[in-house]
This record gives sequence, C-alpha cells and structure tokens, in this order.
Amino acid sequence: MSLVIHGENPETIIRIAGAARRFFPDSPAQAVCLAPPGDEELRRLGGAGVETVHVLPENLTSQGPAVVVAALAMAVAKLGASTILLSATKYGREIGPRLAQRLGGSYATECIHVESVGEGLLVKRLVLGGAYQASLQLNARPYVIGVQAVADSAGGGAGIPRLERLDVDVDAPKIELLEVVKPEASHVDLERAEFIVGVGRGFKRREDLSMAEELARILGAELGCSRPVSGDLKWMSEDRHIGLSGKRVRPKTYLALGISGQIQHLVGIRDSKLIIAVNTDPNAPIMAESDYAVVGDIYKIVPPLIERLREKLGRR
Amino acid sequence: MPDIVVCVKQTVDVYQLKPHPETLEPVFSQAQSKISDFDLNALEEALRIREKGGGRVSVVSAGPSINQLLIRETLAMGADEAHIISHPLLSTYDGRVTATVLSKLVEKAGRWDLILCGEASLDNSDYQTGPRLAEIFGVPHLAYVTKLEISDGRLKAWKSMEDGLHVASCSMPAVVTVGLEINTPRLPSLLMIRAATKKPIHEYRLSDLGLTEEELNPSVTLRELKALKVERRRVKLEGKPEELAEKLADILVREALAR
Repeated sequence: MSLVIHGENPETIIRIAGAARRFFPDSPAQAVCLAPPGDEELRRLGGAGVETVHVLPENLTSQGPAVVVAALAMAVAKLGASTILLSATKYGREIGPRLAQRLGGSYATECIHVESVGEGLLVKRLVLGGAYQASLQLNARPYVIGVQAVADSAGGGAGIPRLERLDVDVDAPKIELLEVVKPEASHVDLERAEFIVGVGRGFKRREDLSMAEELARILGAELGCSRPVSGDLKWMSEDRHIGLSGKRVRPKTYLALGISGQIQHLVGIRDSKLIIAVNTDPNAPIMAESDYAVVGDIYKIVPPLIERLREKLGRR
Repeated sequence: MPDIVVCVKQTVDVYQLKPHPETLEPVFSQAQSKISDFDLNALEEALRIREKGGGRVSVVSAGPSINQLLIRETLAMGADEAHIISHPLLSTYDGRVTATVLSKLVEKAGRWDLILCGEASLDNSDYQTGPRLAEIFGVPHLAYVTKLEISDGRLKAWKSMEDGLHVASCSMPAVVTVGLEINTPRLPSLLMIRAATKKPIHEYRLSDLGLTEEELNPSVTLRELKALKVERRRVKLEGKPEELAEKLADILVREALAR
C-alpha cells in the first residue's frame, strides 16, 4: 500500500499522517503540499512518518478545486499511489469526490477507521445523521479517503522528509478567488477543548450571548454553537460551529444552552464524556442525548447559575 | 436567462429513524421519506434566479424508488418539469453511480447553464454529487455557497469556509452547491399545488439513458450498518429556576470541574 497524503496546509497533513500511521503502520507515506512547509513543519511531517514532501506549483488553490484536482491526479500518477488520504474538512470534501471521479477510483469521506481487507479497503463512517455507523468496502483503485483526523497523532517517524518540487502543468476549469473575508478571528481550537458551553436558538438576541460568555468564563470553558447561530444569524464565527458540517468535539463536559438538538448538531457532540442540556422543551431531542436534562428557561436559570457558581468557586 | 437543473434526493427522514432493539439496524420501513433538506435550498435558489432573470428550472432525481408525490412538491414550489429514474441499483453508497445517472438525467433536461445541488444529503452526508457532476461535465464548482449573484453571465459566490467567507467568481456553465444558510425554501400555496398537477414528470428506464446495469456496479458496498450505542444517564431535572440553578451548579462543580 503506497500512500499519498494531501491537505490544505501542513498542519492538516501532519494530522492525517498521524492517523495514516495508525491505520497502515508499515506503509510508506508521501505528502503533497500546496506550498513549501517551514522547517519546523517539515520536521513534524517527518515525525508523523512522511518520507517525501512534494510541493505543487504555487497559487493552485486560488484557481479552485478543479485545478487542484487535475494537479493531484498528475501527482498520483507520477508517484504511483494506491491510496490517497485527504482531510475531511470543507477543502477535502471539495477535492475528494472530484479526484475520485477523475481517477475512476472509489471514495469515502469522514472515515473514522480504515483498514486493508483482501482486495480492498474497509472504512467506517457515520451516516444517517451520525446516529449509525456504516462499514463500507471500497473495491476500485485508487482509494480516495477523507479522514476524520482527530488531534492525537501517532509518532514514530524520525528523519527529515526529502523536499521535492512537483512540476505539473494543468488545464482545468478555473474559478477566480476575489477575496477572503476573515471573521473576527477567534482562533479557537474546539476539538481540543475540555469544557464547552454550546449555545443555540434558545437565545433570542445577540446581546444575550453575554450571559453564555460569562458562564463560560467562570467555568473555564470555550463557547461553541449550533449551525443557525453561526450560519443564519452570524452571531458567532464559523469555527465555533459544532455539528455535521462544522466541528466534531470531544470535551469532558458539554453544556448545551437553548439547543434543541437537531441530529446534525448531535453528531458533533457525541464523543463528549458528559452532556448537560438546559431547554424549555422536555421533549427536545437533546434531552434524550443528555446525562442531565434540565427542563427550564435559560433566561431564568443561567443568571442564578452564574451567581451560585461564583459563590461556590469564589471566582468573580 | 440561465437554464437551471436542480438535483434532489429522496432520503429517509433520519429524525424518525429508530434502530431495531436487537440488531441495531435502522428500521427504514417505519420512517417516512422526504426531499433532502439542502436540496430544497438549492431549488429555492434556482426559483429566485428565475424570478429575476427568467429561464427554466428542471428538477432531476435518481433513487431506488422515487415517490412521485415528493417530486410533485418540488413542482408545486415552482420547478417547471422533472426528470426521474427509479432503479434498485440506485440504493447505493457509491457516489460515482449516482452522479453518472444524474448526469444522464441532466442531459435529458436539455440545455443548461447552472446545476444547483444541496451540498450534502441528509442520510449519507457524503458531499459527493456536486463535485462529481462538475468533473463529469468539466465545469467549475462553487461549494458551500451562502450567497449567489449572477451578472453578465458570470457567477459570484460567497463560500463559507472554516477560515472565513471566500468570495469567488466563475463563468457558466457551472455547478453550485448550497447549504441551509442561503435562503428559506418557500412553502407552496394551494394554488401552486394545483398548478403543479399539470407539470410534466418524465420517468426513464436505464436503457432510455443509454446505461446498462453493469455500469451501475458499485465500487463501494455496504458491509454493516448499526446504530451507535451511546449510553446517557438521562437524569431529568425539573422545578423552579432558582432550585435548578442550584442543582446545576452542584453538578458542574462535582462532575465537570473536579479534576
């Protein structure tokens, strides 16, 4: 099994490479990067088991997924890879299916487990709103796999990877990237947070989020949200969106405030150790998925809760 | 006047789906089918484009057993016509098969400038159909679009990515995939529902699309499908807000903050 690993940046590739080492401990891995990694990144890529780093010509991403896919397809052919591992991020989900279509291989994304079986690959992923796990067998080479890469990465690799330039000349339908509008950057790493306070549509006005912020501050928690809060209402940045199309989190405690628990959100919090929900509706889906289901109005419970916690913790 | 094709998927309503208590497999027969959520956003966007600039809106759908009543709903919302195919091999986890068949339906719909899809489906959430169709037709793809404008035959899209909004532009023909944020799908009025009964639904067989069963052989097959068992304590707390706050504070201190 020869592996090619690709992601939108070196950090993502390091994470996938770590996962790849767990799935295929004996397979040599090569990485394809969009830009040359820095010295420290190169060292960490080596640590994650990458032997060679191939760098694509610059500015491919700004021309859109078709151009990146065409370049990757050439790289895969040159390197003779049987398996291409991508990130299950938005970028990876744009690239993966198109690449699989172009290469005539088989594809699955958001895989939480990958292994070789006989003539194919077996992958596991969540389906049906994240409530079910499907085991899928992939039979056509090359295999294109989107990996749900969590923070932990198996080390074990040593040396510094070789750095090589991949000269590919591509002709593919282009898009033009006009502008990137960055959100008020929160730079939050929700995937690694141990305590998360999640907010949902139970909050009626944007100002009311200050209540959740104060509670999170006292608890030493990060703030996350359901899709409507970051998507429709834009009250929080997209990197705080927890759910199927956002982040998958695994905190020790998840406190859901005014979140009804649409299945798309529940997928994102499933790996939490302890789930506590506060909701006016005792029949809201989140209640059945909670260790503690507090039936009540966040507007009436959170302010006294903040007071009680201040007393108990002696924090201001 | 862009002519638009909207891809819609009939999926099981995952909210209604319950696992069998022993096998843990989903009991599909006890849940209803519906049009996948994001696909209705795609259709709504197509209708809004038509309202501004004219053109035709066609719906295409492929699946193991398409319910015409659900397709009728998309016509009631305002689509002009539908092209559908039902075949058992379309109950598939292989996105290549789905995209191949949809591409043939798109060709049946005639000339097109824009294909609109939901970014992912409610059941599999694979995010595959849009990018695969773009590759099949050799056109650009704009994904995760939360706002779309058309002027001078070019698309301008606001793509919601992890690091912010990417504003991008491309020529048509193109494929655009959308999520919930782009709009709120309309509910058809009684008048629109009545009008929809006269609109054409073209149903095809594989051979009508120039396809054989061999071409639908999946490269991805399902080996097992089981509910994830997550055991939660489900302790319900009710009472006056102050009492609940007190109890909750205790729980947080005892179970969440104790290290």
